[in-house]
Parts: sequence; structure tokens; C-alpha cells
Amino acid sequence: MTFSADRPNMIEFKDVHKYYGDYHALRGINGTIKAGEFFSLLGPSGCGKTTLLRTIAGFEDISSGAVLIDGKTMAGVPANVRPTNMVFQSYAIFPHMSVQENVGFGLRRDPRSAAEKARAVEEALEMVGLKGYGKRAAHALSGGQRQRVALARALILKPKVLLLDEPLSALDKKMREQMQVELIKLQREVGITFVLVTHDQEEALVMSDRIAVMFEGEIAQLADPETLYRRPNSKKVADFIGTMNFIPCTILSEAGDKVEVDAKGLGKVALDIHQAPPPRGETPVVGLRPETLTLLYPGQTATERETAGVIDEVIYFGDMTYYDVYLGGTDTEVRLSMRNVPGRPVLDVGDKVRVAWSPEALVLFR
Amino acid sequence: MSKAPALRLYALVYLLVLYAPIIVLPIFAFNDNTVVSFPLRGFTTQWFGEMWADPNLRIALKNSLIIALSTATLATVLGVFAARSSVRYAWPGKAPVMGMIMLPLVLPEMIVAMALLVVLLSIGVPLSIFTIILGHVLICMPFAVAILTSAFQSLDRSLEEAATDLGETAWGTFRLIVLPLVMPGILASFLITFTISIDEFIISNFLGSGRPVLSVYIFGQFRFPAKVPSMLALGTVLVAFSVCLLATAEYFRRRGIAKAGGKDTGGFL
Repeated sequence: MTFSADRPNMIEFKDVHKYYGDYHALRGINGTIKAGEFFSLLGPSGCGKTTLLRTIAGFEDISSGAVLIDGKTMAGVPANVRPTNMVFQSYAIFPHMSVQENVGFGLRRDPRSAAEKARAVEEALEMVGLKGYGKRAAHALSGGQRQRVALARALILKPKVLLLDEPLSALDKKMREQMQVELIKLQREVGITFVLVTHDQEEALVMSDRIAVMFEGEIAQLADPETLYRRPNSKKVADFIGTMNFIPCTILSEAGDKVEVDAKGLGKVALDIHQAPPPRGETPVVGLRPETLTLLYPGQTATERETAGVIDEVIYFGDMTYYDVYLGGTDTEVRLSMRNVPGRPVLDVGDKVRVAWSPEALVLFR
Repeated sequence: MSKAPALRLYALVYLLVLYAPIIVLPIFAFNDNTVVSFPLRGFTTQWFGEMWADPNLRIALKNSLIIALSTATLATVLGVFAARSSVRYAWPGKAPVMGMIMLPLVLPEMIVAMALLVVLLSIGVPLSIFTIILGHVLICMPFAVAILTSAFQSLDRSLEEAATDLGETAWGTFRLIVLPLVMPGILASFLITFTISIDEFIISNFLGSGRPVLSVYIFGQFRFPAKVPSMLALGTVLVAFSVCLLATAEYFRRRGIAKAGGKDTGGFL
């Protein structure tokens, strides 16, 4: 989260539309990706995130609008001369070539001598932790190694932008988490703009400087991970990123930068206008993340607000326990998460509890 | 599987009936008797000598090789174009056009041969080896296209995109990525169309206007009882040649698959 807003623009989308026949795949994409940024396109399958990535690479023509890379319009610029390189979902390692032939493929048109190119290949392999693997046949590699070869192959050309199309989805969980960290480190090391496509919100939160959440061909919200998580601008985004409790409420008054609501089970709450994204004409609800609610144990008191509740369900996770709790004698049920620490017993279904929460953690969707 | 003796027996008999006649071929080709009947009399290579001594055979063989090589080359090259465009691109009228290419597979060859003959004669094209090649390409195309379509379909499209992304032109991508990866399919198509062409009889007979080609020559010779043993010798040579050809094709196919790291999903052998 070291992103600074004053960096120059690397990629600009200007009202980008894309039709496949009658199907409107991209519906007016606007936004910028900054130089040196780790940017993610996040959304469910079919939301257009891969299509948008492919318009940067030049594999898809756009129907209208403009895509600019480093200030230059990409209209009519074919994929093979764009200053971008891509890591494909399937890795697309050329199966009939060795590792070094794969990595060196992009250097075919490079005027450097064979020895210099060989050194560049060796350096690229070293950078992704595959030193000495050059002579191996590409098909003899594991999934993680293929991914590294794909990375080395794309980075050896020192592109302005590296595009990653769900690069971690084929790896198992452990390997994926390890590669996430490695990718972040690599990006910092080379300083190239990374654009990642993923449907995994956790992956996007972990890796990105900024994230564009996409639904149905549109960018729903473009923000840094923390803003996205704490201040989602719609119920849909809030639901897609992590878990959020939605509690029905009525708006009592709205004056200046204060909104007062009556939330079912929580009671009257005064919210700052920053906690209320622009209205969408929906039935008003307030959202609360599970970790912003805390169970009070005997002797503890709430610093801000406190509500009585009854435990309806206990889900034990080892390090954490999730509780589903009915609030304030109503049928409003919220999920809250508690870290399991010594001296804090896991409670039982039916236990009467007190729940502490802070008005500041609430988001109003209406 | 070992618990179904009836099925095993059936399979055994089936294979025997299928291949026994072919095994008879070399047995009588080396038999010292002009009549094809048991008991065998003795070993001889006389029929092979007699066969090779016939100048007509050599002419027919030469013609057949020219026809088969040309047909295999043409059908495979055209097949590459057709298969590539049908797998990779969408264009109006694709379904009927591809259907028309595959049609000779189910058309009676006799009708195709007759129709071609009538048309060629009426527009004044003299019958020659060239007209036979034309006819053979027509009937070989479905096989070439079927084999090559599956070869192109199994090619991951992102491999081409990756090559383009890394700076290759369309032609460079085709030459460096697509062609090497579909090579086993091209080889298979070439060998199959070659085999179809070399033993094809109807079109060779109709469109060749009596020009000696192998199949027509064998048919002609078989009418003379004295020639039968040397024709069996020729048949033996052809069978041996086919087996070598298929073994070679299979060797390359397996090596291709191993090199590409794919799974072997069966082939000719």
C-alpha cells in the first residue's frame, strides 16, 4: 500500500465499449492505472475483467472509446508491437521448446549477440528462482515452475506493463500463497506496472495497490484495498469483498454531513456522510464486517455501543470462532468473528451475550 | 476380462478372419507353384524376379508414385488451409463449405468418377495423370481435413497469443509455434492420403484413360492365371511397404507427443 497518487498514468481507459455481436461485454470503462502500480481487475466470471485485460494486450479490438498506454493511443497497434507482455492463465509454455528457448523466445528479434542473449535468459531465470533449469524440457516442469518460466519469458522483454491473467488459479493453496508474496516482491524489484486479473478477492486484497471491482462489464468501484474493504460504495461490492452483515434500517433524518438511522436490533445511530455512499434507490441497510463486532466477556465493558444478543450458531475454526447472534431481541442475525485466545472460552448456542460495536464501522447502503 | 471366454474367442476369430487372407499373400508369393492351392511345394523367389522383370509394372509403379505423392502433398496442404480456417476463424457459409469438402466421404466413388469424367471430357480436358490427381485430391480431402482439424483443435490458442505477445508476426507465430505442434497431424494426413491414393482403383481407371497405374495394372494382370503368383509377390511387397510406412508414421507421432508433453490418446498402431 505504498501507492502514491502523483505517479504518471501508465494505462488510461476512455469510455471503452466492447460488443460481441449483441452482447455488451464492456460498458463504458473509464479509469487510469498508474506507472509502477500493482493493479487488480477483480470480479466474478463473465464480468469482463479478462476482456479488459485483453484489450490492453491487443488481443481484443474495442468497439468504441480509447485505450492509452504511456500516453499513446493503442488504436491500430497490433499485439506484437505493444509495450506489454502477458502471463497466460494456462501459462502457454511452448511445449516443443526447452526452458531457455521459451524464456528467450521474445529475444529473437533482439540485435544483441547470442552470448548476451543467453546471459539475459540466465538472469531472467535467476530472477524467478529457476537458475540452472534452462536445459530442461518445458513439459517436464511442475505447475509452479511453468508459472515462473512464463513470468521470466514475459519480463525478459522489460515491458512497460505486465499483464497477468489469473496466474495463480491453477496452483494449490500453499503454492498460491507463496507465489502471491513472490509476485509482490518481484513487482517491487522490477518496478514494472502489473495488471492482475483475478476472481479471488483475497488475492486481490493481498497483492494490489489498487483494485477495480467489475460487475457486468462495468467498474463498480476503483480504490485501494483498505477503502474497498472498509468503505465499499455498494452492497454488491461489499458482498463480493469479504463478508458483511446487512441490517435493515430506516433513515430518520439527514442534515449536513450527518445521517441518522434506526437499525433493527442496533437502535438509533448517527452516521457521518462518508459512511453513506451515493444513494441508489435501494431499500436502506447498514453493513457491518464480522470483525468489527465483539463479544463482551464478564467484566468487560463496551467503549462505544453495546447491544444484547443470543447465540444462534457457533462455527469453530481453530484460531477463530464465528458466532451467529440474534441482536437486541429481534430476528436480526449477524455473524461476528472472535479470535480464540487463552482465558476466552468458546461460547455455546443459546448463550445470552453482550455485543460491542462502533458506529464508525457502519456503512449505509440505500 | 478373463472371465468372458466366449468374447475372447469371438475376438480371436474376428482377427483371424480379418488378417488370415493377408497372411496367405506372402505364403503363396514364395511358393514354387503357379496354382494358388495347398499343399505348398517349395520355396522360391522366382515370382519376385518375374514381377520386377515386367517393364509395365515399373511404368505403373512410377505413375502411381507420382500420383500418390502429388495427391498427398496437395490434399495435405489444402487440408491445412481448410482445417486452420475452420478451427480458428468464423466466416459466412462455413458450415456448408466444410460439409461440401467432407461430402466425397459418403458419395459413391463410382458416381464421382463418372461425373468427373463427363465434365472433364465436355470441357475438353485431356485425361492424364493430372486428371487422376485431381480426382484423388477430391476424395482424399475429407481424410486430410478430418485429421488436421483434430490436430488444430488440440492446439491451445493461448500458445499463438503468447508468441504474438512476445513480438512475433502472424507468419512467425505460424512457422515457429503452430507448424511444429501440428506436424504429427500433417505427417499422418500425408501418409493416409498417400495410402488411399496408391490403391485407389475406380478414379484411376476412369480418369486415367488406360494409363498404367498400380491398381489398374494389378486388376489387369489378375485375369491371367500365369500372372497370379507374381501379383501375389507384388502384393507382399506392398503390404511390407505399408507396414513400414505406418510404423514410421507412428514413431514420429509418438515422438511428437512425447516432445510436446501431451497424453497419448491412441494412433494407428
